[in-house]
Amino acid sequence: MSTSTSNVHAHKAEIFCRDESRVDWHSKALWALREKRDRAAGSIPEWEQLRQIGSEMKLHTLTHLAEYLEEFEQNCIKNDIKVHWAKDGAEHNRIVHEILAKHQVKKIVKSKSMLTEECHMNPYLEERGIEVIDTDLGERIIQLAKMPPSHIVVPAIHMKKEEVGDLFHQKLGTDAGASDPLYLTRAARRHLREQFLSADAAMTGVNMAIADKGAVVVCTNEGNADMGANLPKLQLHSMGIDKVVPDLDSAAVLLRTLARNATGQPITTYSSFYRGPQDGGEMHVIIVDNGRTDMLKDKILAESLKCIRCGGCLNTCPVYRRSGGYSYNYTIPGPIGIAVGAQHDDTNSIAWACTLCGSCSYVCPTKVPLDKIIHHHRRLKAEAGKLPYGKSSYMPLVGKFMASETALNCSMAMARTALKILPGSLLKPFSGAWGKYRELPVAPNSSFEAWFKKNRG
Amino acid sequence: MSSKLEIFNALKSVAITPQPMPCFNIAPRIDDLVGQFEASLTTVAGTLHRDGGLTNLQATVDEHIAQGMQVISMVDGIKGNREVTATAHELRDIDYAVIPGDVGVAENGAIWVNNKNLGHRVTPFICENLLLVIEAKSIVANMHQAANLITLASGEFGTYIAGPSKTADIEQALVVGAHGACSLNVYLT
Repeated sequence: MSTSTSNVHAHKAEIFCRDESRVDWHSKALWALREKRDRAAGSIPEWEQLRQIGSEMKLHTLTHLAEYLEEFEQNCIKNDIKVHWAKDGAEHNRIVHEILAKHQVKKIVKSKSMLTEECHMNPYLEERGIEVIDTDLGERIIQLAKMPPSHIVVPAIHMKKEEVGDLFHQKLGTDAGASDPLYLTRAARRHLREQFLSADAAMTGVNMAIADKGAVVVCTNEGNADMGANLPKLQLHSMGIDKVVPDLDSAAVLLRTLARNATGQPITTYSSFYRGPQDGGEMHVIIVDNGRTDMLKDKILAESLKCIRCGGCLNTCPVYRRSGGYSYNYTIPGPIGIAVGAQHDDTNSIAWACTLCGSCSYVCPTKVPLDKIIHHHRRLKAEAGKLPYGKSSYMPLVGKFMASETALNCSMAMARTALKILPGSLLKPFSGAWGKYRELPVAPNSSFEAWFKKNRG
Repeated sequence: MSSKLEIFNALKSVAITPQPMPCFNIAPRIDDLVGQFEASLTTVAGTLHRDGGLTNLQATVDEHIAQGMQVISMVDGIKGNREVTATAHELRDIDYAVIPGDVGVAENGAIWVNNKNLGHRVTPFICENLLLVIEAKSIVANMHQAANLITLASGEFGTYIAGPSKTADIEQALVVGAHGACSLNVYLT
């Protein structure tokens, strides 16, 4: 892999970091979410207990997936819900298109589903003459701007209100120069109401699928999933196999943590349970694997499927906040994006877009050990001989060098002397990217080994 | 081989050792449920009307009707000026919908609504403003207690509603009134 490609995380981040004031603004916006999350979590005495239960319940479900998926399907059928299985994104898209084609659907309204993004469903349907309207405001903004999402909960977090104003002026005919969020949101409301009322079908993602009821749960703040699914007669829901939970009690645990951890709200405005189609309607659920069973075969990667997509790990991540969602080469950015996307990353650089600070694991509502998973990805890349450019050439040398006591002691002595007598400007180039935003360290008088021998030996 | 079978075969090699289901023994906070509920409802931008019950609500509805608003009521004893329409789409001009809630949740201000009482499923979302009615004795402490009380029979739809619809997708500025109702007033009976 050439270093000149802009797909390497560090290079994409560097481009994002050129506009320093925007980076600060981006970082602050996300940190505000993290602070709200802390307040919401702190307001519930049993927060840590909920995290523990959430984690154990998800692990239990993941280790009994076949039983719960079977139970879920059987109960769906009893509720007159049609269930489909897709092993990958291509099959998912094919199934969706078949259903829509059968009903001669021309326009479908969609509520945010990262899974359909993962499957690249929109372009697939559009190529087949079906208009796909994303209805979450953030999603609609980036759809009109022809961009992918840069965050899993606030997909247009990278855009400024003036940019949204310009976009809406061009696409929706709002006043030129208008950038007031209330004015723009009202314009989007009017525009999207027309879409809801004229759509032939609706599609949503699934936050939880309840096995013993045969019901799917969809959470939104805007009400877009419900305006969508409850108007046209045809409703589709796409879900990963990891979304199933045993019962209503389990769903209640996750409903208590999801919104609190995402935006600091006590619960999303709407948490809707669909246990069958409306009168005279049709309801389909598409259950998708797309690499999830592969992850389950690895003890450490498997835990990433406990994730409930609250986005809390993105908001707290110091790397994500200062490198933006587009630097990760995957639909899902940030820590969870690395956990579930690093194996698809051709540049092999994404697993290194992390300081292993562990803040993500600390805030995760289901205790996904994200830093451990990311570290594991680095090992997997090394074992597969796929270290990113640079690391593959110098890391083995570093290994040999560190393993030789003489070489290490000798060069460390040289480094201490050099740091003392040579000017920083001469030494700094040797520190590479490390020294770019750091001062060189003050050299100690002796090696640790010498100090230890003298004082403790 | 069908995709379902392929997925199930792959699931035979899950690497994690099977884990038991944990116990959910979380102590509910049962002091002043209505007060807790009111505080939570306020944080999600809803308003609670503690006193006056249905009489108060009917007076409000009458006022709206006098101002030329379209009001549909799904609550016994409250009279609006619109009936349930033949199609869901015809509800597009409803200004106020009056709907009964089954269970209120003190910890988050959410109210469980079941489609048996909605006419069309879209009623609480398509209306410009929502008026929910809830009995004080139906307010429970938390979501675990609510999970035991909500009803969702085969073929039904139900939803927890916590406040009016909202979004913060444009520069994190909170705007109340996205696609669903722009305001929520809850009347206690």
